[in-house]
Amino acid sequence: MKPLKDPDGFERKKLLDFVDFTDSRVLEVGCGEGRLTWKYAPASHLTFGLDPDFDALRVARADCPPDLRGRVHLARASAYHLPFPKETFDIALLAWSL
Amino acid sequence: MVHALQEIHHTLTPNGLLIDLRPVEDNWTVEIPSSSGLQIAGRLTDMPIGKADDEAAFAAMKDVETRGWYVREREEEFAFFYYWDTPSEMKEWIDAEWDDFEKIEEDVYRKAQARWATANADARVRVRVKMLITRWRKM
Repeated sequence: MKPLKDPDGFERKKLLDFVDFTDSRVLEVGCGEGRLTWKYAPASHLTFGLDPDFDALRVARADCPPDLRGRVHLARASAYHLPFPKETFDIALLAWSL
Repeated sequence: MVHALQEIHHTLTPNGLLIDLRPVEDNWTVEIPSSSGLQIAGRLTDMPIGKADDEAAFAAMKDVETRGWYVREREEEFAFFYYWDTPSEMKEWIDAEWDDFEKIEEDVYRKAQARWATANADARVRVRVKMLITRWRKM
């Protein structure tokens, strides 16, 4: 049975205390099923979530809140070969992935 | 890892931020919270692969800091909790999902079972994971 993770939201609070995502372009490396993505993406201008795990990305696509569908883009990719031009993002988030 | 951090550096705007958010090995605590209070059952055992992963991550960040790619602005630790309804569910998860980096010893599991069984009916079991968050700025 899957555990309940961080029900008090300490991770979200700490993340939002560390960085202001307002209107920013965000690259999340290791987005997995999007558990963390949905917590900051509403404030961002644009979010790209990358993960090498196809199954996790499939769950993330299914779980993506409707109001984020035009703003959050998910792709199967590795941080070793990022398919983006120079200086695309304001914030890069290594989400449990370093 | 250093190559990935270089790739990220390339995609960041000048003065862009890199947030490194991850769990770190620390013999995480097994706890029994209930309305009667919090009891500690013991600690998990860190496995060599998990420790090696942490060392590699810290070494990579030190490397890119030394190269002048990023400067560390702020760093803090905080707790991240995993909750299960019963000790057996916790053990099943640890054995199946965390087998590379954490192990629950038999005596810790037995203590968790005993404390959970004698606590109030709303008792659950949780693992307190040590998290590290660091904000780096692109140089």
